[in-house]
Amino acid sequence: MRFSKWLCAIGIAFICVVYGAGTALAQGGVLRIPYLEDPKTADCQTQTISYLLPLNCFDRLVECITVGPGESKIVPGLAERWEISDDGRVYTFYLRKGVFFHHGTELTADDVVYTFDRMLDPNTRALNTDILDWVEGARERMDGKAIYTKGLEALDRYTVQITLRGPYAPFLAVMASPQASIYNREFTIKSGNRFGLTPETTSGTGPFVMKEYVLNDHLLLVANEDYYRGRPQVDEILVRITPDPETLRMLFEAGEIDIFDCDYAVSQIPYFTNHPKWKDYVASSPRVGIYYYSINQRIKPFDDVRVRKALQMAIDRKLILDELFYGKGHLENGIMPRGLICHNPDLPVIEYDPEKAKALLAQAGYPDGVEMEIAQVSGARQWLRINEVVQAMLREAGFKARIRQMDEAAFYATRSTGDLPSYVQVWSADFNDPDNFFYTFFAPKNTVARSFNYESQEVFDALEKGRSLSDQGERCELYRKLEQVIVQRDAAWVPLFSLEHVYVLQPRVKNFVAPWNGWSDMSYYGIRLED
Amino acid sequence: MAGKGRNCVPRALRQKVRAGLWQETISRFGENSMAMVGFYVIAAVAIVAIFAPLISFHDPYEINLRQRLLLPSGAHILGTDAFGRDMLSRIIYGARISLLVGLIPSFISIGIGSAVGVTSGYLGGKIDFILMRVADIVIAFPSLLLAMVIMYTLGAGLSNIFIALSFVGWAEAARVVRSQVLSLREQGFVEAAKAMGVRRRAIMARHIFPNCLPSLVVLFTLKVPEFILAEASLSFLGVGAQPPVPSWGLLVSQGKEFIFSAPWVVAFPGGAIFLVALAFNFVGDGLREALDPYLKR
Amino acid sequence: MATVPVLIGVSILIFVMLNIIPGDPVAVMMKERISPDVVEKVKAQMGLDDPLIVRYFRFIGGALRGDFGMSYKLNRPVSRLIMQAFPNTLALALAAALVSWLIGIPAGVLSALKPNTIIDRAFMGFSVAGISMPIFWSALLMQYLFALKLGWLPVSGFYGAKYLLMPAVALGWSAAGTIARLSRSSLLDVMQKDYIRTARAKGLSEVRVVVYHALKNALLPVVTVMAIQVASFLSGAVITESVFGIPGLGRLAVDAIRTRDMPLLEGSVLFATFLVVMGNAMADILYSTLDPRIRYGR
Repeated sequence: MRFSKWLCAIGIAFICVVYGAGTALAQGGVLRIPYLEDPKTADCQTQTISYLLPLNCFDRLVECITVGPGESKIVPGLAERWEISDDGRVYTFYLRKGVFFHHGTELTADDVVYTFDRMLDPNTRALNTDILDWVEGARERMDGKAIYTKGLEALDRYTVQITLRGPYAPFLAVMASPQASIYNREFTIKSGNRFGLTPETTSGTGPFVMKEYVLNDHLLLVANEDYYRGRPQVDEILVRITPDPETLRMLFEAGEIDIFDCDYAVSQIPYFTNHPKWKDYVASSPRVGIYYYSINQRIKPFDDVRVRKALQMAIDRKLILDELFYGKGHLENGIMPRGLICHNPDLPVIEYDPEKAKALLAQAGYPDGVEMEIAQVSGARQWLRINEVVQAMLREAGFKARIRQMDEAAFYATRSTGDLPSYVQVWSADFNDPDNFFYTFFAPKNTVARSFNYESQEVFDALEKGRSLSDQGERCELYRKLEQVIVQRDAAWVPLFSLEHVYVLQPRVKNFVAPWNGWSDMSYYGIRLED
Repeated sequence: MAGKGRNCVPRALRQKVRAGLWQETISRFGENSMAMVGFYVIAAVAIVAIFAPLISFHDPYEINLRQRLLLPSGAHILGTDAFGRDMLSRIIYGARISLLVGLIPSFISIGIGSAVGVTSGYLGGKIDFILMRVADIVIAFPSLLLAMVIMYTLGAGLSNIFIALSFVGWAEAARVVRSQVLSLREQGFVEAAKAMGVRRRAIMARHIFPNCLPSLVVLFTLKVPEFILAEASLSFLGVGAQPPVPSWGLLVSQGKEFIFSAPWVVAFPGGAIFLVALAFNFVGDGLREALDPYLKR
Repeated sequence: MATVPVLIGVSILIFVMLNIIPGDPVAVMMKERISPDVVEKVKAQMGLDDPLIVRYFRFIGGALRGDFGMSYKLNRPVSRLIMQAFPNTLALALAAALVSWLIGIPAGVLSALKPNTIIDRAFMGFSVAGISMPIFWSALLMQYLFALKLGWLPVSGFYGAKYLLMPAVALGWSAAGTIARLSRSSLLDVMQKDYIRTARAKGLSEVRVVVYHALKNALLPVVTVMAIQVASFLSGAVITESVFGIPGLGRLAVDAIRTRDMPLLEGSVLFATFLVVMGNAMADILYSTLDPRIRYGR
């Protein structure tokens, strides 16, 4: 029943998104959505946290759309088609004609070149330069040794060619990520360092136009009448910024906002699913994201693989999933969660076994157990919840864990120097490729910057190789092997589970499709309101 | 001869005054019904806190995920929290922590404050100017933000809360004491002691400080609830006590999430804070009234 | 009060503390999507690699010219951020002050007129109740009752007088106890003065005595506290602002601490401190103008 409803909703959304049938169904209305923290800017090059504005006010060359729960597909966006050279180094994008920016100028190949060059320009202080790292000449540009980027070229008004310094398989998927949103040259230069901060200095090609922006209070987005895929179905989106999750929840129950993201109050899922008023309006989708505990191999005794294996076994993941998350998710035994291409469903299962964990610790020379710390951002209750339970579980298995709360800035600073003890986190896919998971955690610098300190040349080499392979089957095989090495052999990472993302909607919200990767930020293009 | 004369007159006088003062104060305090109720509440909570292990039926730290958010019942009189821990036991153990959070920083901040205040007021001059400017800085700095910055610097945890709250609180006490000292300095018995050649430190400690005590007692009583609430605020901002330690502030800010589905998780600890803070406030007001004739002298 | 040394002291205190606390403004900007190379580059571009002293004097140099610089995280001029947030916080502070007077003064007066009676206890009890609850707790209860269950008031936001009511009560009630105590003791004091006895002896009605003679003098110290109180609300409204979603100064400052946003924290705290100092000065002036016996600069 639920499933067929889902299929139906997804089907409709798919049609809307791909074929632009939106106009015919347009009903108007104001969609009111909550937001916990101000997005700060619409400029997705200079921030890494909020994708709300990039996804709704901007477009990308290609788009990654949701084709089923947790399933995605790359489809044409601003580029109506593209070619990839045989050596995998040259990408040629053919832009759609007649796409206009909000301020009225037409999108051209030069805008694309400008956008990516701006990202690499040191004056931009962009935070997302990693996505263009493979573009030829990107490093020289970033270091200020060049005043343009060699690999970016407009062949004619509607054709862009991007040359990479080597084959990089995930590049197309990367081009669909929000950070790769396309800006207009003239307008962006004119806006200078105020780009993205006010309605007057924000212009994209996306389905919504920023109309009001009051910092820490609200944002108003209005429908882009000339959107190239057709006008969106709602007239306006009102984003209300409310830092307190309970206030936000009351706003929802009082009918003042339309979508409640249960991430803000995971413990309240049963309340909504059992509530006569809300139970029929709960939407959920799998999240292509994995919850994990990190292990810092620089901290003794976690340099010993037996201790790490004991840690893997000491956590009753099933109990946490069932009780804290109401069974809404799946246990994961690797690094690639469900929904990610190359996901391996047949990985050996990590069993919960505190006795065996104790025995392993004794074997490793710690018959009396081991002391350890679990770090977390102070007051972050989604983590505290898990940590408090895990702390108690670990005690059974001989790990005396202390929860160390640190404020955000200290947490991330300590982590980036490689000194943070174990912590629990979730990583959801920015783009659907294993590279987005493996490279992020296990590349030479990243393994330090995320406080894993898992120094394995074997892994480093495999990561580089995986990036350059173009055959998808071959790549998957490589990543699956690597996954086993990291998780099963070296026990460098403690996989927990992947969860469903649960939302509750006001009855007037139709066509809601949770994004494939389970982000809280999504494009509201396909949503319709019925009053 | 000189030694005898140095002490006998003023001390005898002072002791007589003080003995009378406290007796009178206590009897006047006893007539104030609200203050007495407050006093009994505090006494009861203190007893509960001291004998926590004997009173509570459950381990306040024992997690049982299969018994989450149970309604109040015979087995769990105040229900269970989000981890299946017994709420009553947590509140009982929390009384220890919250009382400490109220009392210890009050002691420290008033201790530091009186030392600074007496020194500053009695010595005057440059020392007074510098100490009071430092106090001005602390007072002018938004106190919650200051406490927050200190907590970030030191890291979360109970002992750091004591430090942060003491640091924030001493300046007010210093000002109160200083202004009293300024008026006391001119009084006869201090002048007399000075004339008899009593050393400065002795005058400050034995003659001036004791006379500031009544107002410090009132200040102390009113600081306790303030600090208990401050800890709750810090917990709300995520820099309070360290879980799983059941400080009341932490219980409320963690329980907040359940206001709809399990209101007891937030209602009981919130009620406990309210009750104790109110009790201290009543006692403080009662003391102030009872000491009034003396304070105004 | 010596304003300038205090402001300089506060600025140094913030600066030193922000540099003692472990933390990295760029790392916290990127959070989970951190990239070690980017952090290094951007920090250098922002001048965060420069020595402490250089950065402090760069900041102070700008501040003296009225330029607090750009917020690291919000990428907007600090002075504009403060000026946008200030009116909201000011509205909240004034409304809260009003609430605290409306609760505190009548409670204080009534209990002073009928000391040690049920009226005294009830009114004092009510005003003291406000300082005995964590603000976020009383706010939560109010939201639950008045916004959700009864539907009389909006849950949160800041779009008009209706929206101001709950936050003002939450914040104001928490200060009412102090006002009530002060007006009570001050009125009790005054009622024992000779001129009140004289007025009574003249056969004036009790109401007249209280309203025309006693109140005027008794409220003097209360008025002076008010100026300080409004000023302290300006910075002390952190929690109220975040619970009720008011885009004010307190939230700016707390976010600035969290993200190690030095210019923004310096700017907002110095501004708040300045207001507190001015509030104190105003209180002194008020006191001396209202009470001719006291001369400013004793």
